Amino acid sequence: MKRQVITWGWAFGLSIILLGCGTKTDVIKLGVAGPLTGDQAKLGTDVLNGATLAVEEWNAKGGVLGKKVVIVSRDDMAQEQQAQSVAKELAGEGVVGVVGHFNSGCTIPASVVYHDSNIPMITPSSTNPYVTDRNFANIFRVCGRDDQQGKVSADYAIGTLKVKKVAILHDKTQYGQGLADEFKKALGTNAEVVYYGGFPKEELNFKPIISAVKETNPELLFFGGMYNQAGPMMVQAREAGLTAAFMSGDGVFDPVFLKVAGASAEGSYLTFSRDPEIIPSAKSFLDKYREKYGPYGPYSIYAYDAANIILSAIQAAGTTDCAKVSEQIRKTAYDGAIGKVQFDAKGDLASSYYIMWVVKGGKLVTCEPR
Amino acid sequence: MAVRHFVPAATNPEKGLFVQSMLQHLVNGLIQGGIYALIALGYTMVYGILGMINFAHGEIYMIGAYLGIISLAVLSTFAPIAGLPILCLFIALIISVAFAAGYGFTIEKVAYRRLRHAPVLSALISAIGMSTFLQNYIMVAQGKENKAFPAFFKEPLTSHPYLVGSARISLLEIVIIVSCILIMLGLHLFISRTKVGRAMRATAQDKKMAALVGIDINRIIALTFIIGSALAAAGGVMVSMYISTTRFDVGYMTGIKAFTAAVLGGIGNIPGAMLGGFLLGIVETLGVAYISPDYKEVYAFVILMLVLIIRPRGLLGERLADKA
Repeated sequence: MKRQVITWGWAFGLSIILLGCGTKTDVIKLGVAGPLTGDQAKLGTDVLNGATLAVEEWNAKGGVLGKKVVIVSRDDMAQEQQAQSVAKELAGEGVVGVVGHFNSGCTIPASVVYHDSNIPMITPSSTNPYVTDRNFANIFRVCGRDDQQGKVSADYAIGTLKVKKVAILHDKTQYGQGLADEFKKALGTNAEVVYYGGFPKEELNFKPIISAVKETNPELLFFGGMYNQAGPMMVQAREAGLTAAFMSGDGVFDPVFLKVAGASAEGSYLTFSRDPEIIPSAKSFLDKYREKYGPYGPYSIYAYDAANIILSAIQAAGTTDCAKVSEQIRKTAYDGAIGKVQFDAKGDLASSYYIMWVVKGGKLVTCEPR
Repeated sequence: MAVRHFVPAATNPEKGLFVQSMLQHLVNGLIQGGIYALIALGYTMVYGILGMINFAHGEIYMIGAYLGIISLAVLSTFAPIAGLPILCLFIALIISVAFAAGYGFTIEKVAYRRLRHAPVLSALISAIGMSTFLQNYIMVAQGKENKAFPAFFKEPLTSHPYLVGSARISLLEIVIIVSCILIMLGLHLFISRTKVGRAMRATAQDKKMAALVGIDINRIIALTFIIGSALAAAGGVMVSMYISTTRFDVGYMTGIKAFTAAVLGGIGNIPGAMLGGFLLGIVETLGVAYISPDYKEVYAFVILMLVLIIRPRGLLGERLADKA
């Protein structure tokens, strides 16, 4: 009896292996990598959902080059080392392109792996300048850069808010500190930086640092970091009596920030891309996303476009050969849900990306006229 | 926001400002330290009795915070008391402490009791497993996002801060510090003055001997876990109120810090845990305020290293570390 079970088990196991090998050539694999577990899991899942929606549409139309597209998703847990091993796994799987990674700190090491195996990679969200500054032929992004973001923030702080004393905090990550440094650089001599400091990205008790910031009497508090820290930080800052205006980047642009910070978020300035709700081409994506997954995340639409760009480049190039696909991506303008996407020589978006948003009445609204 | 001025804005600007800012940082440090101390007590009590480190203790603190927030959400639907925030807070604290005590009791029964006579390492692995399990359980059950502490309930405690010059101290902060001290005083009296406390001390000294004189060891050990978990949960509720949020992974770092505090004071020694907690919290906060926030985690461990080099058994751990 026992022997029989073992025999059947072997047969079953082997048949699964055969099944796996057999289907390998019939599909096109698209890699998606990002934090699917851990404290930023929601953002990673938003990206995966956006890319999945794009792939489903292609499959409904008959696939790419006549083949079905499947998503191979990998979890980098927002950790640098994990990102690199995940990238190697994806390369080993034979993916034709990668949507991801999410965090700049993960994208940078992972992109080296993709560069070595020549796999085209489009990140929907990594804004650190270094991602594209190395001029890798196969690395792109459909989002902005921190130096643009820091510049937009600094221009607004000096030009519109006319602040003279600024405190800068960051979460010591490549993204957070990178953004804080770009902001500081863009301020130049137009405003005095009275406080500059960082804390670990897991920290939730900001009272000690806020007390220290408060003593320097800043008119503006700039934070380079993510929404999960910005929310409690704002509540604690207002409780501690810090009246300075608050400004941060796209990492804080999330409904959870508004929910946790509540009334304390009022008047916060955040840089982000244009509102997808007022972009006509985004409507059909947003409707589909809402129907399938509920409220969309800030980067879902970028992941959707990134997946579409890779797949349509394969279709147009008529091959999955990585070098040709990368070349196709670089030279073609693509009409995406976020509007027209054209890459420059570095792999950045050729058009401008960031605008200033402000929290008004518990909602994020654009500062620019519609 | 209505505020109460206690001291007119500094008469001697330079000196006054320093004293006021020092006061602010000390209050921040006392709160952080009080919380570390409450959690450190759980580590040290379990170590004193079982000679093992209960690594799931930090998770109990996190669960306590969640239980508090959930109870408040439930209480806010009961019309008769929903309008009385302080009463709701008090009830939520009690519910949270009671449930967390249940968690502590269950963890001991499920994960440690059968391993009591196994090598210490087995119990340690079991503890780490328990910690991972609880953390992931809360992540799945309650989500990966920050959970906001309902602002309505803490508002009466924070909306009228006392102003001492530039220092701004809310009633909430005073309540937290006072509660920490009262709880610790209560624990000290319980262990040193009551019959059950004496039984606990006896068990810590020698389990076999204690059993021979008629002490129900299992009950005493279970009680140790219950008390430790209750303290951690009280700390969790207070912290979530103080920083107005909590997350499934807050138990990890706080747990490690509290464990550090317990070692700093001399593990197994109850006054030592209190001292270690306060020392750690204050050093950390003053370091952030006066040196640089970038090295926050460094200050705690530098102090630990210095103390352990000079006094390897911790500040108050001069006797063999088997006193509960």
